Amino acid sequence: MNLYQQHMLAETRRHFFAKGAMGLGTAALTGLNAENANAMATGEVPEFLRQYAPKARRAVWLFMAGAPCQQDTFDYKPKMDEWYDKDLPESVRNGQRLTTMTSKQKRFPIAPSKFKFTRHGESGGWVSELLPFTARMMDDLCVIRSVHTEAINHDPAITYICTGHQLPGRPSLGSWLSYGLGAENRELPSFMVMTPSWSGRQTAQALYNRLWGAGFLPSRYSGVGLRREGDPVLYLSNPDGVSDTARRRMLDRLAIMNQQTLDSVGDPETQARIAQYEMAFRMQTSMPELMSIDGEPKSVLELYGPEVTQPGTFAASCLLARRMLERDVRFVQLFHRGWDQHGDVAKSLPAQCKDIDQPSWALVQDLKSRGLLDDTLVIWGGEFGRTVYCQGKLSRDNYGRDHHPRCFSMWMAGAGIKPGMVYGATDEFSYNIIEKPVHIHDLNATILQQLGINHERLTYRFQGRDFRLTDVHGKVVNDILS
Amino acid sequence: MNAYSAALTLIISVVAAAPVAAQQVSFQRQVRSILSDKCFRCHGPDAAERQAGLRLDLEDDAKKVLKSGVRAIVPGKSADSQLVARIVTTDADLKMPPQDSGQSLSAAEVDILRRWVAQGAQWGTHWAFTEVERPDVPGMTDTAAEVTEIDHFVRSRLLENRLTPGVDANRIALIRRVTLDLNGLPPTIAEVKSFVADTSPTAYETVVQRLLSSPRFGEHMARYWLDAARYGDTHGLHLDNYREMWAYRDWVVNAFNQNKPFDVFTIEQLAGDLLENPTDEQIVATGFNRCHVTTSEGGSIAEEVHVRNVVDRVVTTGTVFMGLTLDCTRCHDHKFDPLTMKDFYSLYAYFNSIDGAPLDGNKKDPAPVLKVLTGQQKQQVADLETKRATLQQELKQYLASIEYVEPETPQAPIRSEPKEFVWVEDSVPSGAKSQGNTPWNFVQAPAPVFSGQSSSERTATGLSQHLFDNAPEPLTIGADDVFFCYVHLDAKNPPKEIMLQWNDGSWNHRAYWGGDHIDWGKANSVSRRRMADLPKLGEWVRLEVPVADVGFKPGAKVKGWAFTQFDGTVHWDKAGVVSKTDQQPLYDSFAAWQKDQLAAKRKSLPKNVLAVLTKSADKRTEDEAKTLTNYFLEFGYVASHKTVAPLQDDIKKSADRLNEIRKSAPTTLVFREKKEPKPAHMLTRGEYEQKGQQVSRAVPAVLPELPQGAPSNRLGLARWLTADNHPLTSRVTVNRIWQQFFGTGLVKTAEDFGSQGEAPTHPLLLDWLCAEFMMPQLDGAQHDWDVKHLVRLIVMSAAYRQSANLTSADYEKDPENRYLSRGPRFRMDAEQLRDHALHVGGLLSERMGGPSVKPPQPDGLWFAVGYSGSNTVRFKKDEGSDKVHRRTLYTFIKRTAPPPQMSTFDAPSREACVVRRERTNSPLQALLLMNDPQYVECARGLAERSFSESGPTPTERAAWMLQQAVLREPSATEVQGLVADYEANLADYQADPESAKRLLKVGETKARGDVVPEEFAAWTMVGNLILNLDEVINK
Repeated sequence: MNLYQQHMLAETRRHFFAKGAMGLGTAALTGLNAENANAMATGEVPEFLRQYAPKARRAVWLFMAGAPCQQDTFDYKPKMDEWYDKDLPESVRNGQRLTTMTSKQKRFPIAPSKFKFTRHGESGGWVSELLPFTARMMDDLCVIRSVHTEAINHDPAITYICTGHQLPGRPSLGSWLSYGLGAENRELPSFMVMTPSWSGRQTAQALYNRLWGAGFLPSRYSGVGLRREGDPVLYLSNPDGVSDTARRRMLDRLAIMNQQTLDSVGDPETQARIAQYEMAFRMQTSMPELMSIDGEPKSVLELYGPEVTQPGTFAASCLLARRMLERDVRFVQLFHRGWDQHGDVAKSLPAQCKDIDQPSWALVQDLKSRGLLDDTLVIWGGEFGRTVYCQGKLSRDNYGRDHHPRCFSMWMAGAGIKPGMVYGATDEFSYNIIEKPVHIHDLNATILQQLGINHERLTYRFQGRDFRLTDVHGKVVNDILS
Repeated sequence: MNAYSAALTLIISVVAAAPVAAQQVSFQRQVRSILSDKCFRCHGPDAAERQAGLRLDLEDDAKKVLKSGVRAIVPGKSADSQLVARIVTTDADLKMPPQDSGQSLSAAEVDILRRWVAQGAQWGTHWAFTEVERPDVPGMTDTAAEVTEIDHFVRSRLLENRLTPGVDANRIALIRRVTLDLNGLPPTIAEVKSFVADTSPTAYETVVQRLLSSPRFGEHMARYWLDAARYGDTHGLHLDNYREMWAYRDWVVNAFNQNKPFDVFTIEQLAGDLLENPTDEQIVATGFNRCHVTTSEGGSIAEEVHVRNVVDRVVTTGTVFMGLTLDCTRCHDHKFDPLTMKDFYSLYAYFNSIDGAPLDGNKKDPAPVLKVLTGQQKQQVADLETKRATLQQELKQYLASIEYVEPETPQAPIRSEPKEFVWVEDSVPSGAKSQGNTPWNFVQAPAPVFSGQSSSERTATGLSQHLFDNAPEPLTIGADDVFFCYVHLDAKNPPKEIMLQWNDGSWNHRAYWGGDHIDWGKANSVSRRRMADLPKLGEWVRLEVPVADVGFKPGAKVKGWAFTQFDGTVHWDKAGVVSKTDQQPLYDSFAAWQKDQLAAKRKSLPKNVLAVLTKSADKRTEDEAKTLTNYFLEFGYVASHKTVAPLQDDIKKSADRLNEIRKSAPTTLVFREKKEPKPAHMLTRGEYEQKGQQVSRAVPAVLPELPQGAPSNRLGLARWLTADNHPLTSRVTVNRIWQQFFGTGLVKTAEDFGSQGEAPTHPLLLDWLCAEFMMPQLDGAQHDWDVKHLVRLIVMSAAYRQSANLTSADYEKDPENRYLSRGPRFRMDAEQLRDHALHVGGLLSERMGGPSVKPPQPDGLWFAVGYSGSNTVRFKKDEGSDKVHRRTLYTFIKRTAPPPQMSTFDAPSREACVVRRERTNSPLQALLLMNDPQYVECARGLAERSFSESGPTPTERAAWMLQQAVLREPSATEVQGLVADYEANLADYQADPESAKRLLKVGETKARGDVVPEEFAAWTMVGNLILNLDEVINK
C-alpha cells in the first residue's frame, strides 16, 4: 500500500469508523482494506450502512418551494363546497397555532377549491384539473396525502425538511448521501442542485445555500449548484483568452511540479491534489457535454414541452436532471419557487402548476422508457401544506391560503415505491390527518432506505453527538414499498 | 499534583514501559470513553432515560447496591460485578448493550472493562472538569537553546511512542510558515533575505516580534474568532437583509492588535454593557451576543423567535468558552456529561433579557444598537463642538458688552430686505433623506467649489440626479420668493440640460435650462418650465427661479429638492430661497419691541421669554427681566444685528453639521439589558410554548461556584468564566489557538471537551500552557491572559519550527501528526489563499476596517436563492482597488449565499458558531484557483510586477516569478519548465493576438499598456500555474 492509499484509507476510517458509528465501527474496520476504501469512494453502499438491498441507485427531488395547496391539487375535499364562507369549526383547529399572518383574522372562512377534480388511471387517484399531465401517470405514482411537519414558517420548514433541523447548521439530505455513498461518477459531482425559473407569485420565498449545504460535514459533500447564467458550475470555463491547449499545458506542468513536491515533502494530500486538478479538467469536458441537449431527439424534447429549449425553465431543468441521473449523479434536487399562495390562488396556482406539470410527467416517462425508473427514486413536494380557510378576501373564484403544517401532499415514484397508490388520509377539511401520518423524518428515512442506507446508522460525530439526518426520529414507511 | 495529573503521569509511565505494565487500565483514557459511548445513554446523567436506577457516570452511584440488590461494580471483583456479567453473557436477553440499542462492545472493549473492574475500578473526574494546575516541566536531556518548555512535553510523548523529533525547517520555510501563521500573508523576498542573512541567535525571535506587532496580526487572528462568533453581514434567515455590525468585526481586530487580555476580551463581549460607565468600544463588543441569525419572516411568532435567539446565545457561549455541547440539554438532561436541563435554562436566564424585539424587522439596525463614529468623524464632532462653544462664548460676551440705552424717540422698526436663506451647503438639510441614481458626491477643491467646503459633483450619461426629500423643517414659501442655486458646468463635458425640481408633496414643480431632453411633467407649465439656454460653461453661475413660475403659492411647504442633469459633468453648490417671509423686524427701542411682541403674541418666541413678556414689568424678577433683555439684544435690536446675525448663522451651521454627522453615523448591534429581567422558565422538550417551572440565573453545578460578590447577571457570568479556577475557558481557548498553528488541537474536538470529545494527546502540555496563559511566569508576558505571549510560546517551540517533510515511516506511526513528529503543513484557509494571491500579485490593499466590501463574484449567486424583496437579492460588486482588493476578512458575507471564494474552501457560512473548519481537497477548488477572475488578475499582477522588478531574460523572469511565491531559490529544471511553457504559450498567443488581449482584460484593474500583449499574456499563464502549485497553496 503506498502513502496515498494509506491516506485514503485513514481518511475513510476517520470519517466512518474511528468515531464509532453506532458500534459498528470495529466490526467493519477489521474487514476494511484498501479495496474497500476505494469501493467506498466509488459509490457502493458500505456494508455496515446497508441493512437493505438498495432499490435506488439515484434520486431526484422536484422541490416545490413555498408549499403547494394540497386542497387544489391532490387532496380532494368535495364536501367543502357546502362549507363555503363558513367558519372552520374550532373543534377542527383545536388550538392549533397559526402564523401571525392570519392569527389576528376575525374569521376563518372555508375556501373550497375552485378547481375540478377527476379520478385517473386504474388506481383511480383524484387529481385536480391543474395537473393534467400528472394525472396521466397516477398509475406510476404513490401519492402521500398525510405528510406533516411542525414548522409553520418557510425558512424553518424548508430547512427542516431538507436538513432534518429547523435551524441552520446541519447537513442536507443530498450531502448525507454523498458522505455515505460517495460518487458513482468520477467526472461529475455526486449531488447537484438547480433553481429553475417560475411563473406564479413573483415575490417568491428565498432559498438558502444551506438547503444543499454540507453543514458540519466536510464541504466537498455539498450540493453543487448548476447555474442558470454564466458557467453551469462555478469557474468551470477557462478565463477569457485561455485555450484548452494552454490549460492542458499548465496542468501538465502543474502535475510535474506537484509530483516534485510530493517526492520531497511526502504529504499524501499533494497526491490527492494532483488527482483533483485532473478531475477538474475532466469536468471541463463532462459538464458541457451534460449541458448540451443538441443530441436529444425531437420526440424527447416534445415530451418535456415547449419550454424545454429555454435554459433555466423547469422543463429544461427536468431534462438536465434526466441527463445527470443517466450519468449516475447520485442526487439531483430542483427547487421550483413561487408556491406561496397567500392570495390570488386563481391566477398564481395554475401558472405554477403549468410550469411543472408536463416536465414532471416527462421526466418520469423518460426515465421509464430508458429503464432508469426502476432504480431511480423521484420525489415531488414542498415544505408544508396550506390552510383550508381563506387568508384575505374570499370569493368563489379567488382566495388565499396560509401556511399549514398538519398535513400536505407529496408523491414518490420509481425505485421500489408502490405505483398507483394513494397513501394516508386527512379529514374532510384537509386539516388533520386521520390515517397513516408520515412525518418528514419518516419521509427522509424512507428515501435513505430506498438508497440502501439505514437512516439510524448514517451518523457523523459532531460536538459530542452522533448526528443523523432524522435526528432521533424517523420510521421507514414500509407500506408504500413494493 | 492533583488526581488528574497523577493519573496522567501514571499513564505516561505505563506507556513508556509498555511491556511490563500493559495490563494497567486507565479510567481516563480507556474506560471513560467506552462507558460514555456505550452505556451513558441509558445509565448516564439523563434521569428520564435512566434504566434500572443505575448511573455509571458517577462513582458512588456505579458502585452502590441497586434496588434489585445487585451491584454493577464491585471493585476488584469482576466475578461479582453485574457490569462484567452483563457484557460477557451470551444470553441475548441479558446482554449489554441491548441489541436494539444499535450499540455493541468489541472484544477489546469488554477486556478493558473487565480488567478495570478487576484492578479496583479506580475512578476520576472527567479531565476537563478538574482545575488547571501548573504541571512540572518534564526533565529533558536535550538542552539546546531552541528547545522550549513546550518541547519538553512534546518530546516526552514522542519518546513514549518511539518517535523522534524532526529536523529543523530551513529558514525560508520557517519564515514563510510563521508569517502566514501570524499575519495571514507571506513574507516579502526582502524579509526572507534579511532573516536568512541575520546570524544573530535572536534572528527568529526578532521576526516573531515584528509579526506580532504588525496590524496584520489582529486581522488574521480575528477571522478565527469571527467564525466562532458567527459574524456575518446579513440577518441569515428568510429575507436575509443587510445587517450593519462591522464595527464589532473591527473591535475584534483591534482587540487582538492591542493584545487585550483574554479575560477582558471575554468580559467585554459578554457583558461590556454592564461594566461601570462603559465606553463605546466596550458596548460595541457586546455585539458578540447579537451575531446570531435572526428573522422577520411574515407570520413568525415573536416568542418562538425570542427563544431561538436566546438558545443560540447559550449554545454559542457554551461552545466558544467552555467546549460544552449545551444544545443537548435544551430538551433533556445531557446523555454523557453531568449537565442537566435545569443547568441549561439557568444559563438561558442570563441571556433572556435583551432590551429589544426578537424579530429584526428586516432592517439593518434592529434595537438595541449603538451609533459608531469613525475616528475621523469623532474628530469632526470634537472640532465642531469646540467651534460651536467658541462662537457661543463670543456671542455671549458681545451681548454682555452692549450698554443699552432706551432712545428718547424710537425709530420705526426696520423690516429687513429679502434675505437669502441657504438650505443646501456642504450637506443636505438636517434630517432630510438624500437619494439619487448614485449617492451624493461632495467634492472639495481643487474641484470647483463656490462656497463652503465642497460642492456636489455629478457626471452623467443620459439622465442622472441627486435629491433629498422629507426635510423635517420644510421651507415655507412667501409670495415673491425666488429659488436660487449655483452651478458650474464643465466646459469639456457640458450637460445637454439641467433641471431643478421641488417637492411639496408632489414633484410637479420643475424648471430647466438648455435642451428639452427630460420629458417629465407637461411642457411649458409649472411642471416643466423652460427658464433659458444653458448658462455659461466653466464658471459659477447663479440660477434663479421665481416661485410662481413653478407653481408655488404663499404658504406652500417645500420638503425636497432635486438636481437633475442630462449628460455632462456638473458641480452643484449653495442652494436656497430669497425670501421676506417670517423675518423679525429690528427695533432701536426695547419698549417698542415689547409692545409689538405682546400685541402679536409671537409664537416664535421661546416659552420662557413669552412668559416673562406677558407679566407686567413690575412683577418680573431680576433674572426674568434679564432673560427678556438678552433676548431682545440678540434677536430684536437693530444696533447689534450686524454682529449677532453672522454668529448665529455660524452656530446654526455647526449644529446642523453635527446633527448630520451623528445621523449618518453607522450603527452596530449591541446587547443591552432590559430594566426588569424577563423571567426564564424550563421549556419542556425545548418548546417555546411549553413553559415549565421558573428558573433563576445559575451556573452548572459540576463547575465551580460563581466568584465571591459576582453580580447575578452576564457580568457575573463572564467573571466566572474567566476566574482562575474555571477549568474550561483557558483549556478551550489555548486549544483553539494551538489548533490554528498545528491544524489540529491538542484536543482534536475543539468544540467538545465533554466526555464524548477526544481526550488531549498532551494533557500536561495543555495544562501547562493554560497556567502560563492565565498567570505567566516566563519572561515576555505583558499581563495575565496574554494572547500574544501564548502565540509567541507556540511559534518559538522547536515542535513548531520542525521541517514538515515526512517519511513513510513517520506516516505510519503518526499519520495525523498528533504527536508532532514533524512540522505543520496544510492547505491555507480560504482567506489566506486569496490574500496571499493578492499579495504576490501586488494588488493587496492594506486598508483596515470599515464597511464590508464586495469583490466580484459570478453573477446570479444571490439572485438564484434570494427573496425577491430582499435588499441583498442582487449582488453588485464594488469598484476600485481599495474595495475589491481588500483582505478577505473584509469581504461581505451574505449568510444564505456566502461568497464562493470562502465556501469552496471550507469557510463556514457564519449561520452558526464554528470553532473548527474542515479542510477538504476538491475539483471545485481547482477550478476556482485556476479560473476565478480575481486569481487570474493576481497571476497577471505577478507577471506585471516582473516587468519592473525582474531581469529581462525569460529565464530571469521565470525564476523571479516562481521565487515570489515559493520564496526559495527555484531549481534550474523548474525554471526551464516554466520557460518552455512560456514559449509555447507565447507562440499560441502570437498566432492569436486577440486572445492575449482578452486575457489581459480579466480583472478589476487595467493591465499596463507598455508590454507586448502576447508576452504579457504568456507570462500571466505562468503566473496562473505558479499560484496553483501545491507548494504555494499550502502553508
